[in-house]
Amino acid sequence: MLSVDVQQDGPVPLAARFDCQAGELVALVGPSGSGKSTLLRCIAGLMHPSTGRIACDAQTWLDSERGVRIPPQRRRVGLVFQHYALFPHLSAQRNVALASGRADPLGHAAQLLARLGLAGLGERRPAELSGGQQQRVALARALAREPDVLLLDEPFSAVDQPARHELYRELAELHRSVALPIVLVTHDLHEARRLADRMVILDRGVTLQQGTPAQVLAQPRNARVAELVGIQNHFDGVFRRGDEPGWGRLQWGAAGGAELRVRDKRRIEDEASVTWVIPAEHIGVHRSAPAGPNVQPARLVEALPLGDIALCRFELQAGGAVVQLHQTTAQLQRGELVVGGELFLQLDPAGIHIMPRRGLPPPH
Amino acid sequence: MDWPAARVSLWLAALTVLSLLPVALWLARWLATSSARARPAVEAALLLPLLLPPTVIGFYLLTTLGGAAPLGQWLGERLGLRLVFSFEGLLFASWLINLPFMVQPLQRAFAAIPRSVREAAWVSGLSGWRTFWRIELPLAWPGVLAGVALTFAHTLGEFGVVLMVGGNIAGQTRTLSIAIYDRVQAFDTAGAGQMSLLLVALSLAALALVFALNRRNPLQER
Repeated sequence: MLSVDVQQDGPVPLAARFDCQAGELVALVGPSGSGKSTLLRCIAGLMHPSTGRIACDAQTWLDSERGVRIPPQRRRVGLVFQHYALFPHLSAQRNVALASGRADPLGHAAQLLARLGLAGLGERRPAELSGGQQQRVALARALAREPDVLLLDEPFSAVDQPARHELYRELAELHRSVALPIVLVTHDLHEARRLADRMVILDRGVTLQQGTPAQVLAQPRNARVAELVGIQNHFDGVFRRGDEPGWGRLQWGAAGGAELRVRDKRRIEDEASVTWVIPAEHIGVHRSAPAGPNVQPARLVEALPLGDIALCRFELQAGGAVVQLHQTTAQLQRGELVVGGELFLQLDPAGIHIMPRRGLPPPH
Repeated sequence: MDWPAARVSLWLAALTVLSLLPVALWLARWLATSSARARPAVEAALLLPLLLPPTVIGFYLLTTLGGAAPLGQWLGERLGLRLVFSFEGLLFASWLINLPFMVQPLQRAFAAIPRSVREAAWVSGLSGWRTFWRIELPLAWPGVLAGVALTFAHTLGEFGVVLMVGGNIAGQTRTLSIAIYDRVQAFDTAGAGQMSLLLVALSLAALALVFALNRRNPLQER
């Protein structure tokens, strides 16, 4: 298991803490400048934070209190750099062999290249390989070290879209086949959602939240996390305790906004100003009013086709809030959804996640 | 043709290159990778020989290393070293004025190696020393060639410092460029012409070699 707990004030501020079990893939997610790559460099030993502790299995790689600082050469880390950082003057096979500690490094390199689908390309130099092939060579080099931890720094950013999907599949397969902690740095949420067992959300060097992608997306800890993970339906409101135990009311937006029935987990004060999210899968779109709570009349104001799906904007009658949902383009073509048409949205109380507005500017 | 002068010139150029290369490699790599505060000052000092007239450098060397100067006396008494009007002195002066010619191309070559490539070597388990031999030096190779060729050609052609520090002792400190000057003074245009042609040919050959070997630069193959 890899455990990381590092702090520093500058030049890149850090206050990050997370673990990654053997066989687990953890994605470090955050905007650029959030310290994701810095954190990866700390794990690899390429930079040292002012204080902290990094350990992998029984080995301590960094312990500022005890003055332990193991250099990168003595940490068994496989690191795939963002632009691969292959040695341009060496063949693919020699790139990989250089990292191998085995008695027959060239043979080991050939095996690894074959395993990653690069058999026959070992003699080529990096410049003679495609982006996807270079990425595989970088991965083979990282694995040649027989690492205790595999670190991937935005490994898909320099690969075009079709190759990327193939590489996602291969990484998922690798993840299943090796019992290593794998840390993936990405700013692409879809990538994190698709590949990671757990996500660690980073902002300005601080770990804001960690959990499975489903957990983080459905229950962001605060408004910043909701913003960072790109939750589209993110609103302000006022929470009010109800008479019925376990249930409360949520005023959507400012006074005059719709009122929703929501779960009361006794975590939010009565009359608290809140911010809340609802994942798209908890919002139903109906042509006639369905039975049940939280049915709101709305109007489809815009439908932006994006291939098979269309991004639709629904404006609520009460309060004028706008809800964004993806609908299939087929629904638009069949006339089930018409721009300007009246519809009903139903918000499932189980999907409404309410957060206090602490630390946020007042709603407008 | 003054063959002893040609021998002194070639010998001086070869020894300057050989003795300067290890120091220049170290210095250039440090300048390319370090963020030390002293770096700009070192860089400026290093460029000085490019800007100063060679006679100025020659004058200072003569006044500090001459037998009348304390440093010159000390070197003579303690180490038995005479650095003016001797081949050793010529080599020392040549070494000093060629520093920028050797260091500059090397520094640019080391600076062109992406930091991530160096770090990838460390993460692959290569020590600093192995990283230098297996990764950095091969990648900086065009710069090494350029530095060697420039230093070689520049040493062959140096006149002012050589005349000031070395004097004009036949077979010892008289180089081709000084011999040419001598021949012209003696109205021996044919002799001066032959030696000038030889210098042109040697310098051209050195530079052509650099450009020929520089064509395949792995760092530009992306």
